[in-house]
Amino acid sequence: MNVMQLKASDFESDQEVRWCPGCGDYAILKVVKTVLADIGHSPDDVVFVAGIGCAARFPYYLSTYGFHTIHGRSAAVATGVKLANPDLDVWVVGGDGDFLSIGGNHTLHALRRNVDLNLLLFNNAIYGLTKGQYSPTSPVGTRSPSTPGGSVEQPVNAVSFALGAGAKFVARGADTLQTHLPTVLKRAHDYKGASFVEILQNCIVYHDGAFGAINDRSESQNVTVRLEHGQPMLFGKENDKGLVFNEQTGTFDVDELTNLKSEDDVAIHDETNIDRAFALAQMEQPGHPVPLGVLYAEPAAEFVDARGFTGTKGAWDRDALKALL
Amino acid sequence: MTYAVTEACINCKFTDCVEVCPVDCFYEGENMLVIHPDECIDCGVCEPECPEEAIIADTEPDAEKWVALNQKYSEIWPNITERKDPPADAQKWSGKLDKMDYISPAPASA
Repeated sequence: MNVMQLKASDFESDQEVRWCPGCGDYAILKVVKTVLADIGHSPDDVVFVAGIGCAARFPYYLSTYGFHTIHGRSAAVATGVKLANPDLDVWVVGGDGDFLSIGGNHTLHALRRNVDLNLLLFNNAIYGLTKGQYSPTSPVGTRSPSTPGGSVEQPVNAVSFALGAGAKFVARGADTLQTHLPTVLKRAHDYKGASFVEILQNCIVYHDGAFGAINDRSESQNVTVRLEHGQPMLFGKENDKGLVFNEQTGTFDVDELTNLKSEDDVAIHDETNIDRAFALAQMEQPGHPVPLGVLYAEPAAEFVDARGFTGTKGAWDRDALKALL
Repeated sequence: MTYAVTEACINCKFTDCVEVCPVDCFYEGENMLVIHPDECIDCGVCEPECPEEAIIADTEPDAEKWVALNQKYSEIWPNITERKDPPADAQKWSGKLDKMDYISPAPASA
């Protein structure tokens, strides 16, 4: 273990970073390097696994170990990496196509198995690398080379999908929110089990402005609610609006604080409540602020690693595992 | 890694770069803009926007002194997030070399 304080630059590789100028991926890369330095594992103890897509170029740009796998299969490969050596800090990176279309199946099973991985979904709601076809998260009506008349399919809601798959840790951030995103990634890393983080990422070339004001630093607070466990769910630049839980419908209503009898009517975020997490996951623009932060974190969830897998308790026995192979 | 604004910006300040920056990391002096090196995400979207070609990557030769200058003033000058009209005599200064003698350390007036 490296006892020296690591810097973000210690996680930089010698490869030239190649995304389109203005791509949100640069913003995420910067945050990830900062968070890795903060976590403090030596680059030798960290692995980034990726599938195919713009996001999947990630491992090349980090000095950690990395594996650029085949399309959609990153979660499966990462599961293998973690089982073979549970001491590694394993991250999985992919886009909305890689995680939810081509690899939807693998994402589901990695979450359900609760392998101790950190899965980062860069959602730009478009196939960027192949020049702009609609993706599983593109909104209805998205005009693209493959949907010239506008797409007619309902998009996947990524965080609802993750909760439905049985994920024990589900969170959301946005690329350009450079002070918020690190806190989300740090929480995801610290969670022992499969951590799913959707990062809203702007594709400047093929889907510019897909998330409207959400990743606009000056406007974001008006259209997002920053979730903090145990805190009232207030939002707006002046914190003048709040979410009120509607017992009749089981969903959240939005109200101005001036309309409420008391601030106590504003719902308190409980990240351990799965029903509330589903209700939060359903909130979308317009009409509701988009929830950012940790939607759900099941306390003390059991996770699968090589210890559980082989049925041995206590310290991981590498020789015992080898004997099984 | 970061991008940095050079002396070519002095007295021109067209602010095309400000409009495209996804993380709003430009800071405004009286007659020049700078990039905050710690906030820049290195996406490079501003570099081709500048009509004066004043923005360079820190991998270019001599970039070090410009990064240092950007660091210094980004901590003093106010953040600028929206495009504004350039100075009235911006065209007169366009394309001129060696403008460092004319830099104003004063922040932009509100």
